[in-house]
Amino acid sequence: MKKLPKENTQEIARVKDRDNSPLVIFQNVTKCYDNGFKCLEDVSFTINRGEFVFLVGRSGAGKSSIVKLLIREQTPSSGSVVFDGVDIAAIPHKEIHTMRRRIGVVFQDFKVLASKNVFDNVAIALEVTDTPKSQIKEVVDNVLTLVGLLDKSQRFPAELSGGELQRVVIARALAHEPDLLVADEPTGNIDPVSSAQIIEVFEKVNKMGAAVLMATHDDRVVDKLKKRVVRLEGGKVVSDVQEGKYAQSTK
Amino acid sequence: MPKVLNKVLQNANKEKLFTASNLVVMTLTFLVFGLFVLIEVLSQTALSKLEKEAAVTIFFKDDFGESQILSLKSQVESDKRVYSVKYVSKEDAFTIFKELNKDEPLLLESVTASVLPASLEVKAKNVSMLSSLSDEYTKVEGVEGVKFFKDIIERFNFWRGVLSIGVGVILAILLFVSFSIVVSTVRTAISLRGMEYEILKLVGATDDFVKKPLIYQGVMYGGVSAFIAGLVYSTLILVVLFSGLLGSLGISELVLISSLAIPAWLFAIVLTLVLSLCGIFLGYISSTSAVKKYLNY
Repeated sequence: MKKLPKENTQEIARVKDRDNSPLVIFQNVTKCYDNGFKCLEDVSFTINRGEFVFLVGRSGAGKSSIVKLLIREQTPSSGSVVFDGVDIAAIPHKEIHTMRRRIGVVFQDFKVLASKNVFDNVAIALEVTDTPKSQIKEVVDNVLTLVGLLDKSQRFPAELSGGELQRVVIARALAHEPDLLVADEPTGNIDPVSSAQIIEVFEKVNKMGAAVLMATHDDRVVDKLKKRVVRLEGGKVVSDVQEGKYAQSTK
Repeated sequence: MPKVLNKVLQNANKEKLFTASNLVVMTLTFLVFGLFVLIEVLSQTALSKLEKEAAVTIFFKDDFGESQILSLKSQVESDKRVYSVKYVSKEDAFTIFKELNKDEPLLLESVTASVLPASLEVKAKNVSMLSSLSDEYTKVEGVEGVKFFKDIIERFNFWRGVLSIGVGVILAILLFVSFSIVVSTVRTAISLRGMEYEILKLVGATDDFVKKPLIYQGVMYGGVSAFIAGLVYSTLILVVLFSGLLGSLGISELVLISSLAIPAWLFAIVLTLVLSLCGIFLGYISSTSAVKKYLNY
């Protein structure tokens, strides 16, 4: 085999190291609010590249805080949140956008603009990066196909069901081809049939290589997928089970 | 840049009423601003003109002969405080008198050169020295009396100050109102587009992408309204200068535009430019502070 120059072997080793390292590391993370309320306490877990992880727990267990820490809506009071080798809290404010483009986020409430149609609601993710119009069209059509909404690209939010609105949000989150898709109760506001469609989309995205972190207390979804389940209680990780079930993780 | 401008225009179009009311109030502000600048510049011009023309006039008694007056003139000319000295003989005084009263033949018939006093017109290098020069010449032998524009200049300066303060206070109030209007417009825009900013944050929009259109919106309000005010004044100045309107009204002497240190057309351009820059600056600081205070991004 041809010997590679020293610089190249170092670069390959660095990339290999990076590929083997977890995508997300929560290390002894504690989050206290100004009023003294501790929503997370000494939370540690990792998410590997391409992994599908459920984050379960009752309301107030700290699931949403974990999502907020991941997108740096908040910073930890102690400990660190590392994304792809970078401590998120240490990223300068002016550079956060680069990290956010690598993390797609879906919330329970449908964050869509009523004045824009489906296409434009998704395209907004690419407009912020100065993507050429022709490329925007191509990418938006692709992600809308992925979520099954290409035929409704010219419709406005008022003409869509809750499930469809959530799929628009997922399509937008996928526009940057994120390494991680974070969803906070994505099926919380929709009927079971639409929920199943949404979960199908998440599975597809995961199979395409993106890691998925889904905070939920929908036991049917968790049980059906048989993925890793991390349970939070009172701000602490109380169990972390591979191919777990909702009820199993409570034990 | 064009994308940002496009966004600013889109926002202005969405908020037509806000845009119109902002432009009206800010244009009024800059009209007052322009008035303030005009008052300052024209009154300064007037003052310079007055100062240039201000002179101590020394009138002599009839028995003080021309040779004595000319000898005194030489003495006065050697005074370092004095800019120039002009001798006005009885005959010169009569010529001036005739010119001034050419429409009143009866008066001219009753006056001869002998009744008018000879005089020296002394211009000082600095108008503030006129008072001391006047006091000194009053005591000189053969001097009947001394007159100068002391009161006029002092009164002019006083009223100029009063006017400047008055307009300045109104200007300060209007600047504050304009500042507040831009701040509240940007604040309203931020709250109306709350969801949009939340989404932009999630999809990784840069700070500049979100903030620039808001800041440029304020800059546009300030710049456009100040430019309109500048155009209004420029038009007025040029109309006054070239139409001869004031001349036909007989008040052309009151208009000092032609006495400015720079040509009036250049003054109009400079005024428009200065107002526009001030407008841009006001718009910038108002919208920037609104963005800092109300946009949580």
